[in-house]
This record gives sequence, structure tokens and C-alpha cells, in this order.
Amino acid sequence: MSEDRSRILKMLAEGKITAEEAERLLDALDARAAGTMDSAVSHLRESIKGDPGPLLDALPKYLYVKVDAENGDKVDVKIPIALVRSGLKLTSLIPPQAMDQINDSMAQHGMSIDFANLKPEDIDDLVAALRETEVSVDSANGDKVRVYTA
Amino acid sequence: MNALPPMILDLRVAPPDRRPVHVWLPLFLLWPIVLVLGVLALVFTVLADVVLLLLGERYHHYTILLARCFGMLWDTRGLVLRFNDKATAVEMTVQ
Repeated sequence: MSEDRSRILKMLAEGKITAEEAERLLDALDARAAGTMDSAVSHLRESIKGDPGPLLDALPKYLYVKVDAENGDKVDVKIPIALVRSGLKLTSLIPPQAMDQINDSMAQHGMSIDFANLKPEDIDDLVAALRETEVSVDSANGDKVRVYTA
Repeated sequence: MNALPPMILDLRVAPPDRRPVHVWLPLFLLWPIVLVLGVLALVFTVLADVVLLLLGERYHHYTILLARCFGMLWDTRGLVLRFNDKATAVEMTVQ
């Protein structure tokens, strides 16, 4: 819930405004949000007129995983985003019997992820979110883990 | 999806107190064999899927699964793995 919306509801709860006024304010808020969205979409449309190549080139193409252990061990993995997408798409096609075994094995290793819940329509959203994700872990014993896209 | 499949596997291993090893594996020589095997496998998966479908099984997607496996192999181009400990360094690049 947005801050404005919760403020309006709070004012209604405190009796500072009537239900009718609250409704009008919420409608105005929705209209403003829709207007902002329209302008954002039209701006995006304007920006991709012509050759979309430069925009596509600007998108991250690799997922990097870097582990720098305190004892001097280093792991550096560069995974193409296309491979991540292919892997995720593959999980939705794994036969149910095999998927049960995978889930059990992962649960035994402390990773309770049910890949059966990963729907094909969610994969693009997941990959898009991955492009904006950066994880940095600095553990107390000096181990450092960094996951990012570029 | 990449325009081309992985062509070369470049493997470098630097073990302690020994000469570094640099192996260059021409994956492009394997692709024709993989293609033939893939086509043969596709025949079996199509048959299996048809039989499973006729039997009323819920899962009958082995053909798509095989195609996606090939797609995943195709997309390994660009993968780089590097492992270093105090003594040994290993680097694997799929080009």
C-alpha cells in the first residue's frame, strides 16, 4: 500500500475526513497514479523508437558469482543470463518423479525450494528481477560472496 | 539464445610444482555427432510422448524436455568458471 493511501485511510479512521471524502481522495490518487504510469509508458515507447540494438546491448548479459574465502580460496563464475533462463525453463519440464527426488535432495541440503511451483510465465519476471539484483555477503570470518549482473 | 553453439572448451589447470596444463577442446567437432544422436533420441521421445498421451499420462513432454536440454547446451557459450586455492588454479571457458 502506498504512503498516500495509508495516510488517507488513517485520516478516515481518525474521523478527520468522511468516507465520501476518503473515496474521492483515493479516486484522485488512482487517477494520478494512472497518469504517471501512462507518461512513463509513453516515455519508454519514445525511447525505443528506431534501432533497439543499443538498448539491448545495455542490458546485463552475465550473472557473476564471486567467492573470496578467508583461507585464500577464490571462486569466480560468469554465467550467461541466457543459460540461467534456459535452466529455469528446463525445470518446468522435468518429470514429476525426478522433480520429487530433486526437491527431496535439496531439502536434505537445507534448500527448501519447490521447483514445481516455478511456472513458465514467472521465468521472464524472475530473470528481469535478476538483472537488478546484487547480493554482497561479508561474513564474520572474512569470507566474501558477491552476486551481481553486468 | 546465442547465434552459435559453444565451439571451444578452453581448460587451464595450474597444479602445484608442475607445468600448467592448457587443453583446448574443439566442441565444434562434437556437434555433428550430437546432432545425429539428438535426432535419433527425438524419434524415441516423440514415440514415448505419443504412447504416454494415448495412455492418458499427465506428463508427456519428453520431446520438449530434450529440445530444451539442447537449448541449454547451446546457451553455455560464454560460461567461465575459475577456481583458485593457494596452490592450484583452474579456469574453464566455453567459447
